[in-house]
Parts: sequence; structure tokens; C-alpha cells
Amino acid sequence: MAKYTLKINQQQYTVEADPQTPLLWVIRDEVGLTGTKFGCGIAQCGACTVHLNGTPVRSCTLPVSATVDQNITTIEGLSDDNSHPVQKAWLEVQAPQCGYCQSGQIMSATALLNSNPKPTDDDIDTAMAGNICRCGTYPRIRKAIHLASKEMTNGSK
Amino acid sequence: MLAVGFESLAFGDNSRLKMMMAEDFVEGTALNPFVIISEDGTISIMAHVPELGQGIFQGIPAIIAEELEVRMNQVTIVKASASRQYGQQSIGGSRSVKTMFTPMRQLGAATREVLIEAAANKWGIDKSQCYAKEGKVFRKDTQASIEYKDLVKVASALELPKNVALKSKADFNIIGKSTNRPDLVGKVNGTADYGLDAKTEGLVYATIERCPTLQGTVKSYDKAAALSVNGVTDVMEVTRTVYGKKNTGIAVIAKNYFAAAQGRKKLNVQWDNAEFTKVSTDDLFNDMRALAKTDGLEHFEKGNFVENLNSASEVLEATYELPYLSHTCMEPMNATVHVREDNTVEVWAPSQSPQVQRQFARELGIPDDQAEEKIKVHLPFMGGGFGRRSMNDALEECFQISKALRKPVKLIWSREDDTSQGPFRQGTVHAFKATFDKSNKTLGMQHKMVSQAITTQGRPSNGRVPFEVMEAINTHYEFEHLSVRYAEYQSQIPIHWWRSVFASTNGVAHEAFIDEMAIKANEDPLQFRKNRLKSEPRFVKVLERLEKEANWNAPLSSNEGKGVAIVESFGTIVAHALFLKKENGKVTIPRVVSVVDCGIYINSDQVKAQTEGNIIFGLTAALKDPITFKNGAAEQSNFNDYRMLRINEAPKDIQIHLMENEEAPGGVGEPGLPPIGSALLNAVFNLSQKRIRKLPFDLQSV
Repeated sequence: MAKYTLKINQQQYTVEADPQTPLLWVIRDEVGLTGTKFGCGIAQCGACTVHLNGTPVRSCTLPVSATVDQNITTIEGLSDDNSHPVQKAWLEVQAPQCGYCQSGQIMSATALLNSNPKPTDDDIDTAMAGNICRCGTYPRIRKAIHLASKEMTNGSK
Repeated sequence: MLAVGFESLAFGDNSRLKMMMAEDFVEGTALNPFVIISEDGTISIMAHVPELGQGIFQGIPAIIAEELEVRMNQVTIVKASASRQYGQQSIGGSRSVKTMFTPMRQLGAATREVLIEAAANKWGIDKSQCYAKEGKVFRKDTQASIEYKDLVKVASALELPKNVALKSKADFNIIGKSTNRPDLVGKVNGTADYGLDAKTEGLVYATIERCPTLQGTVKSYDKAAALSVNGVTDVMEVTRTVYGKKNTGIAVIAKNYFAAAQGRKKLNVQWDNAEFTKVSTDDLFNDMRALAKTDGLEHFEKGNFVENLNSASEVLEATYELPYLSHTCMEPMNATVHVREDNTVEVWAPSQSPQVQRQFARELGIPDDQAEEKIKVHLPFMGGGFGRRSMNDALEECFQISKALRKPVKLIWSREDDTSQGPFRQGTVHAFKATFDKSNKTLGMQHKMVSQAITTQGRPSNGRVPFEVMEAINTHYEFEHLSVRYAEYQSQIPIHWWRSVFASTNGVAHEAFIDEMAIKANEDPLQFRKNRLKSEPRFVKVLERLEKEANWNAPLSSNEGKGVAIVESFGTIVAHALFLKKENGKVTIPRVVSVVDCGIYINSDQVKAQTEGNIIFGLTAALKDPITFKNGAAEQSNFNDYRMLRINEAPKDIQIHLMENEEAPGGVGEPGLPPIGSALLNAVFNLSQKRIRKLPFDLQSV
């Protein structure tokens, strides 16, 4: 066991954990931010996606010891009031069904739009293929990303 | 007050472990267990049916609100806990709206009536001189009004009337419209509470090593090695019961999940499972193929197919095979249970059958009449269910651990546990024969279905056709001779309700063979169906609508294909038209057009969402991995070898059209699934002249 200070959603958290503990379990069970989900444990489904310095990573396979001094963003860090354009678009198209994978979907989509504000369908396929949705909300996710893209790029003009 | 304060519960005065349930936080006066109105005007409606993605959190309260005469934006929906005061809370068979539509309307209407009566009494006029609208009672003469909040105290003393007249469809303000789901807000910001998110003080984490062959006994394991892992506190044997078969697993309990999982790796369990290691997928299907040659049991007979078979000029034969599958909810199986020293219990049950109080009470020696008082059950949101969560095996395992430790325990199944431990969707074999005259006119059809049955597992079959197995075999097709038969297969593989259950296999095979018959008869597959379903006008109307919406008769390029299928299941008819395109050697599904006739529906957008989901779910079943068995164990374990359809493979354009009528509500959560597999197979034939009869298959191979 070792002590780590993590920077999550611009707040400092000090936790005690085995260095090999995946960041996912630290975020969920030590820090208490349960919006990030466990789906597979082998970086195959994307339910655990968070941003590490703005890049989407699978927190279920990332050891906590590798995340010290990095900027970690979880679904809870997107906005205080559901006002992030991606969250708004998700609600506009009523994307979630069970909703369990959607934190990961939204984090992947946000990272995509940050690096590519006007993604094509092919760009969306590439960026989002790592996130499984068992309920089959893919057509609405695609629609929501295009919608968020529109709002984000209009705002910047 | 409906809300029962915890002080009144028998926990003892100095208990600091007070079980606060959703109901305890609802302020106001209860007019019945579902509707509570506070003096500040908050109208709370309890969502008592567990939500796993089907939209019922909004659906049932919407039905009540319609007759209560309030707008949805005046309503606060509160997620209920499990309690007998709400009646049945189990979900499955796409039945929630189907079975609760009328009772919930009656409840809403009766509640509205006592509010009207309270107002009429206040004004000293007859209640027929009043009406309710948007949370107020108005008098017809002066249009003066009183808000519900100012009537609720008086109204709560009045008796709820029976047999109140219900609104007609034309007067609906909420039912049939598209309404946003309030639970989705928490699902885009991370605050929605799923079973896996249960939080309580002093929580410990458990994982369980179970026999890979699903049955077997424990010979030995290294308890000390597991306990040597930092953080591991306990190792114990736990029983999992699946359809009456009990098997022991070894639970490792630790301060956190990572430590528990590390401890589990060190258990080195030796199993005695020799007698269960012989099962393989090849053997299962060889057995079922052999059964397909037997007569089987009669399900439906019309004309005389056997005689017709001997005299017909042409006979078409085909056998379809569908695989075993895993449910694979995105949220792996889990449960959280706290059995306290004082024998009170708090449960977080991500379950489709959450009313477990009496079951657990009996195991603790608590009398039935105290079960609800001493055992409290939260209903978290569920990350999918698909039938899997109607089995409470994880909950029962967790209860045992907590009962032994008297600590709050969260049991988490790994994805590998979830994929490989079953119970599974049944594998099936379908043997078809069709007869034709000299000019290829259809005469008769036989469908022999071979499979395990869900309801006869663990007990001898009684020689009758179990009620669930013939779902969605359409006997409305007007053939002179029609024979539908079932041969039961017995196996040690546990099977369980899987989204649309036997419709998920029967609907695919039956509608693919209907297509083969249409081709043999030289008819357009859609017209063939229309022409032979004339006795069922709802089917014909759905097909006509699909023909138009999908522009079915428009010519396709040589690199395109189209397929149609129509299946009725759970009281709803769904037809899909699926289009394929082959470009640069790659086959894609650019478009699916669907028509749904589910009678009266609550939320049009949710019918569409569920149908979109069913399309993707059914395509995954047809195109992705099967569960196969080797040496008694499932060979797949996680998303690397049990793959799901991903966004790049999903149809980009899915259009769902709803039929408008006044038929009673049918199911919505499942009926979109059965016809998609057959529409796909039929489109593959249309594109490539290849007839695929064994699922799953590789779309790129056509």
C-alpha cells in the first residue's frame, strides 16, 4: 500500500492503495465518484473511460501509480449543471437507455470533439468503436455527437 | 402520511444504522401508495417498477398522471423501494405496460375523483359540476379553481371510488406522446445510482471463484494463500442455486475489490467435476439434430401435413441452428446486502424480481409478517437486464456472505464470471419441410423445433409442450397443411429468459424459412406474406405500411440486397425491412426500416428507442460470437472473445414507424428483436443468393 495524491476534476484527493490498483476502483470506491463504470476490466468496452490530460483512457487497466500529478477528468467533471454541449446533446436526442455505458460514451465523445470539432461519420466510428453499448444506442450517439459538434463550433465562431 | 419514519421501525433506540428508504424522504399526504401531494404543491408519483433501460421509470407514472390530470412537468417521479404495498414489482415478458395500463389508469382516475369530491364538498355543489385539469379542480359554472395541494388533506380521508370512467384515447395529453425520461439526466452526469454504485458505511467487497463446468464439487483450495493478500479479510464457501442445482463457490472478501480479485487468483481451487466435463457444443447440436428426426410433440396441426408430404410434387427441406448466448448486461451481475447483528437487513437489489423480503426473512427466522419491516430493499437502476436479472443468484450469494460476516457486502461478478457462468439463451435446431404443387404453389409447411425448455429444468418433463417454447411461430400463415411440433432436449446447460426468449430463436428461423418458400414460389417475399396473412388484418396493415415507408418496391443496384420479416411476440407485431450494400468488398447494413404495431403506447420515443435497441441486440446475436462449450465449460469469457456489435458496424439509418390504433397495449421491450435476424438472413440471400441457416455468421463472408 502507498499514499497517492490524485488530481480529479481539479480537486486533490489523497488515497491509500496498492500501486497496481486500477484507477477505476480508486475513483469509484476510494474517492467515491461512481459515475465511471466497470464493464470488463480488460479495456475492451470503454465503460470506464476517463480523460488523462484530456486524452481518453481506460481506467480499468491503468494502475493508480501511473496517474499521479496528471489531470484526471471523470463524467462528474464535465459540468456542474449538465450544461456541457455533449451532455445537452445526449439529453436532446434521449440517447441513453439503461445508461450504464453512457459515462464512457460521453467521455470518448468529448475527447473526440475537443480534438476534432467537426467529425465525420467515419471519424465517429473510429473514435467511438471502443465503447460498447449493449442497449444499442449507437444511432442516437452518432446523432448526438453531430448535434454537439454543431453547438460547439457555432459557439466558437 | 404514507412515509414511514424510521423511528417506528424496530431497530432499537440506539441503533445508528437506520435504514432510510426512498419513501422516507417523500413529503406530503398520500392519497394511495403511488400518489403523494405536499402542501407546497409537489406531486410525487412513485416509480415502483425497476428500471433497466426500458423507460418504465417514466412510463408507469405517466399513465397515472394522465388520469390524475396533471402535467408531467408538475410531477416528481420517485424511485420506490421493494414493498408489497405496490403489488407485483417483478419485470419480464415485456409485460409492465401491458398488464398495468388499466389498473394504473384506474388508480389515477380514482385519485383524481377524491380530489374533485373534496373540492365539490368545499363549494357545496355536486361533483358532476366540477372537473380537473393540470393539478387543479375547476367548477364548471364560474371556472373558479382550487389546487390539488389545498385539497389533499380532505381528499385523503375520502374513500377511493371503484369503476371510475377512464379517458378516451382522443383526450390523452401524455399517453401516446413523446416525453423525455427524467432518469436520463443522472445518466449523462454520473449520478444515476446503479446496483454497483451502492454506498454504505463499512462496505467490504467480495468476488467468487465458481466451477468452470457450471457443476462440480470443491476438492480443495488454498485459503491461507488468499488470506495472505493484503486487504483480504475472509474466505468462505458460498452456494449458488440455479434451477434447483446447488453448487459451491469460494468467496474472497476484502477491503476493496482489487484485493479480493488478487486473493481469488491465489485460491487454486481443485474441482471434482469429471462427470460434467463431457459436454461440448458439437455433442449438444448432434443430439438436437437427432431429435429433429423424431416426431416430437404436437403444438399446432392443420390439414394433414404427413399425407400431403407423400403426395406433393415438390418438397423443400431446411434445417436452421441458433447458438447458445450470454445475456451480457453492461453492468455485470452484482449485489449489495447488509445483514446486521440485530437481524435487520438492507439490500440493494439490481434485480428484475426484487421482492426478496420473505425469502430472506425465512433464512433468518423472521416471521413473514415482519419481513417488510425488518428487511428493506432498494431498487437501484440496472445496467441492462434482458432477462438475466430475473434470477437472483448473485443476490443470494451476497446474502449468504453478509449473513455470515454481519457486514455490508458488495459482491461483484467479473465480466468473465458474467459471460461464462450462465444461465444462457437456449441453442435450438429447427427442421423445416414445405410442400408445393407442380407449379410451385405452396401447399403446406412443417416446423419442428428442438431445444431445452426453461420451465422444465431440473425436473422431469411431463410430455406436454412447455408454454414458453413455441413463442412467435406464426401459425396464421394460410397454408392448407401446417404442422408445428416440439422435441424437448434435456441437458445440464442452464438456460434462462433472454430478451424475447424463444421468439429470439423461433422468430428468426421461421421467418427465414417463410422467405425460402416465397422464393421457391417465385413471389416477392413481402407480397407472399401479405397474401397469406389475410385473416390477420393487423399483420397486413403493418406490411403495407412497411412496403411504403421502406420504399420496398424500388429497384436496387446489383450490389444491394433487401430482406423482410414480420413477427408477433408479447402482443406486438413488428416488421423490419433490412438493406445491405456491398462496396469495395465490404458488406454493410446502411438502413433498417421498421413498423411496430403495439396498440396504444405510452411514450412514442421509447417505443422507437426500444426497437432501435432490439435491432442492434438481434444483429449482435446473428453476427457476433456464440457461447460454445468444450469439456463442459463455456469457451468465451470477455468482450475480446464474446464480441458485441460496435458503432462502426451498426446500421446508420434506422427508421421506426408506429401504427396508430386503439388496440390494447402490447409489449415493447422485446418484440423488435425476433424479426431482425430473419430480415438479415433474407437480405443476405437477396444480395448474394447464399442461404445462411446457421447462426452466427460473418457478414463479410457473403
